[in-house]
Amino acid sequence: MIRLEGLSVRVGDFLLQDISFEVPAGGYGLLIGPSGSGKTTLLETVAGHVAPLGGRVHLHGEDMTGVTPERRGVGFVYQNYHLFPHLDVRENIRYGLVRGPLSAPQQMERVRELAELLGIEPLLDRSVHRLSGGETQRVALARALAPRPSILLLDEPFAAVDPATRHNLRRELRAIHTHERVTTLQVTHDFDEALRLGDVVAVMAEGRIAQLGRPDEVFRFPNSAFVARFIGTGTVLLGEVTRQAPFADGDGPFAAWFDSTPLRLEIVAEREGPAHAVLRPEDLMLSREPLQGSARNRFAAVVSRVERVGPVSFVHLDAGRPLTAAVTTASAEELGLQAGVDVVVTVKATAIHLV
Amino acid sequence: MTPKDSLPHGAPSANRAPLPWARLALAGLGALLVLFIVGPLLRLLILATPASLGEALRDQELLASIALTVSTATAATLIGALLGVPLAYLLARRSFRGRRIVEALVELPVVIPHPVAGIALLLFLGRNSAVGGAFARLGLEFVNHVPGIVAGMLFVSVPILVSGAREAFRAVDPRLERVARTLGDPPAVVFRRVTLPLAGRGVLAAAVLAWARSVSEFGAIVILTYNPQVASVLIYDRFTTLGLPAAVPASLLLLAVALGVFALVRMLQPAERR
Repeated sequence: MIRLEGLSVRVGDFLLQDISFEVPAGGYGLLIGPSGSGKTTLLETVAGHVAPLGGRVHLHGEDMTGVTPERRGVGFVYQNYHLFPHLDVRENIRYGLVRGPLSAPQQMERVRELAELLGIEPLLDRSVHRLSGGETQRVALARALAPRPSILLLDEPFAAVDPATRHNLRRELRAIHTHERVTTLQVTHDFDEALRLGDVVAVMAEGRIAQLGRPDEVFRFPNSAFVARFIGTGTVLLGEVTRQAPFADGDGPFAAWFDSTPLRLEIVAEREGPAHAVLRPEDLMLSREPLQGSARNRFAAVVSRVERVGPVSFVHLDAGRPLTAAVTTASAEELGLQAGVDVVVTVKATAIHLV
Repeated sequence: MTPKDSLPHGAPSANRAPLPWARLALAGLGALLVLFIVGPLLRLLILATPASLGEALRDQELLASIALTVSTATAATLIGALLGVPLAYLLARRSFRGRRIVEALVELPVVIPHPVAGIALLLFLGRNSAVGGAFARLGLEFVNHVPGIVAGMLFVSVPILVSGAREAFRAVDPRLERVARTLGDPPAVVFRRVTLPLAGRGVLAAAVLAWARSVSEFGAIVILTYNPQVASVLIYDRFTTLGLPAAVPASLLLLAVALGVFALVRMLQPAERR
């Protein structure tokens, strides 16, 4: 369990403020945010390398705020892995066991077990200078896991490997997380990773937590234009909300107009005035002719570009405002979508999320 | 294609190779300087006949002087390392008030003319000074004694030792030390298992360079302790009293010591800096 309470940390002349969140025992937490938002420093604070100005760090139920890193029971993997260059692969993995309670044969058994789990047995006698990015990453993970930490801290563990390796490592990491039952906190700048791995995600911006929650919740209901833009939820439009029935009273959601020139969209809102509306790519339906049905927002647009990403295609549109829709690549072909084609965009009033 | 790629061949660009004559001129200038260094040393080495070397090795006074030089330089380096390596680590790793000032002060001897250093040390460590007097009461005399040689050597070699060791420590990524901490090692153990193995060669190279600097010192020592004579003072003494030929065998022997040290330093330096 990792629980941070009102943590504030100084990083040079930059301040992390009021950081509170919890990763439950055995959970997988993610810190996501633009570079320079203090994510690495926050991990280093959890590990005890950086002393906070205020607030508490609780690890596995104990207040560890003033405890030195070697007594916190955390494993740490930096973005560039930082294997010990003067030791070979085996000795790197064994480093944290040498001064521990295990006998030499037990240490070797633990090294072998981890090497097997990570598929790096053939590398054990190699120099760390002769490893690929993915191999280096696995060795760094094995080294961090060897002393059986109850907490694993990962700083952008996939940033330095190619996409194919990243895909495999991500799957392995999930498996290792389950196998070793280690509470994990990972820094990433890739929201896709958060969706695939995380139980809880904290979106960081300018030294604070901008939003905290389950990744799918954060994805569906970003609480600010920043979060929506950063995690790539969709197009964010700034506009004005007005009630459709100006004299209607009462609490709760009401039917409203959202005006963002030249678009006028029907939405469901809870307050009037200026607001950001998030249009998620998967909620924009495209057709060549107006669709039948209950969806009441329909407007014309011109395709400016089609970006194919495997089975999904992102269709960049000009509707007076730039918008992005996601359709299956099959239907993009069926509709004959290409630059310059006129389409009708349909979006349900309830699919437009205000932040 | 970027605009730069689309330039026609032969169009001017910032990173083209220099013209042949310009390259030739640059090479010529460099060659002159290299010759200026190699020439005098070769001229001296030509005199290294078996006869002259035999003469040098039979010269008891010269051998004693070299032994004195080597032992005092070793003492100065050990004292410098004992006091300077921890300081170098502090300067590399910790930020504290006045760190820049300490760093500057430690490097100060580099710019002080060596006879000036000798005069300053003489005033500071002489029997009539407070510090020198206190040492004298403890039985430690500097001026015209062996400790004076060590003091002069230490003063001029300490910048080399501390700045070299500091850079060696600085080259060790602090994140390696942090990883070692999370793997269960307290700071002293991290120093032994990670920092020292990685910085050790650099620290050793700095110590050897400082030792070589001590061996070659003349200006400060000649003012503090003319007798007993270290090798550089002996060479000067023979040159002024007996003339050039008398100074050559001693010079050859000291040159041999220096070249040996030079080879050792080159071996200690990491491959990429060679």
